[in-house]
Amino acid sequence: MSLTKRFQRSDEPIWWSLFSAGGVCVAMLIPALIVLLVFGPSLGLLSPDTLSYQRISTLLYHPLGLMFIGAVIILPLFHAMHRIHHGLHDLQWAHSALAKWLCYGSALLLSFLALSLWLLGR
Amino acid sequence: MKQPETKPSDMQHLSVAIQRYRPEQDDTPVWQSYQVPYDDSTSVLDALHWIKEHQDSSLTYRWSCRMAICGSCGVMVDGTPKLGCKTFLRDYPQGLKVAALANFPIEKDLVVDMSRFLQHLTTIKPYLIGEPSLVQAGSASAGSDQPSSAALQPQLQSPEQVKRYQQFANCINCGLCYSACPQFGLNPEFLGPAAIALAHRYNLDSRDQGKAERQPALNSKDGVWSCTFVGFCSTVCPKGVDPAAAINQGKIVSTMDGVIQWFSPKQLDATPQEPTS
Ligand code: SF4
Ligand code: FES
Repeated sequence: MSLTKRFQRSDEPIWWSLFSAGGVCVAMLIPALIVLLVFGPSLGLLSPDTLSYQRISTLLYHPLGLMFIGAVIILPLFHAMHRIHHGLHDLQWAHSALAKWLCYGSALLLSFLALSLWLLGR
Repeated sequence: MKQPETKPSDMQHLSVAIQRYRPEQDDTPVWQSYQVPYDDSTSVLDALHWIKEHQDSSLTYRWSCRMAICGSCGVMVDGTPKLGCKTFLRDYPQGLKVAALANFPIEKDLVVDMSRFLQHLTTIKPYLIGEPSLVQAGSASAGSDQPSSAALQPQLQSPEQVKRYQQFANCINCGLCYSACPQFGLNPEFLGPAAIALAHRYNLDSRDQGKAERQPALNSKDGVWSCTFVGFCSTVCPKGVDPAAAINQGKIVSTMDGVIQWFSPKQLDATPQEPTS
């Protein structure tokens, strides 16, 4: 092997950044939300009215609701698909360009779906 | 006064199974068991010496310092990469199995071919690459055989600057981390834990200007991006180098490097090898 080997920059920083951002959401934000939304009312931290359908849907379709979609759906999707993509390689089941397209493609597709539903629901 | 010596026959014995491979007679590695006398201070390396001296002089393995400095005595002990001289029989009361380091081709018995690892080390240029103008001034130029005084100035470092890279400089090139790494096992082109930790060590050194020369290899698929943060490399490292931390800090460096490259004007496509000054 020669020392002058040419190296091609990997596109992994893109996927890894989405994976890392998704990881933070999955590890910190989502558990906090679950505790708050599931146990909040019974612990008296939230009044049941706060979670009424009307209020929640107004909140969700507010422009800031987009951040919620990003943090709770889109980034975790990329997080999960990145893990699956690398898991398929580790188990030596699939490590082709096709597997990569399918993994990140499905994350993209589902993200697109979530965004479309959000836009349609406004 | 002379200490009464314990004869090996009075000592406790332990069964040590060794994976043998003699290319001229074995098609595949085979296991052979030996009963080895031991006490609290008997290391795996001592056991290998004892077998070689008393039972089988053909047993082949590497060693030199006997004190976890040279990094040559790496073997698998019960499936985990260990330094033979830093691993003790007293910790394996049921006996133990010693094999050649995983993920490397076996040459003979416990001796492996480490050339892939050494190639990866060379790729990342594991030495200080100086500031180009100083390097030029330091080499005797035409008309004078004395380097300029600027080049002779010592390159001082504060304790903080040393601390940034010191941990990653403790590597003894034993290769245990390569045996522990499933990604290196799947893809030997992966630069691997120690090489990347060493690249990171030089990139963090305030005297070094070689980052642009190392980064292309680190940015590639076989650089930092082959790592999936399994972390076993850091668990087995006998020197506390924590190569997994180096690689994952390297991912942040590589991402920043990519962002800068992707968002800068196109002329940056020029090879970074020729520094302009
Ligand atoms: S990083 Fe640790 S395990 Fe890897 S070669 Fe260096 S000293 Fe050995
Ligand atoms: S003999 Fe030198 S590290 Fe074990």
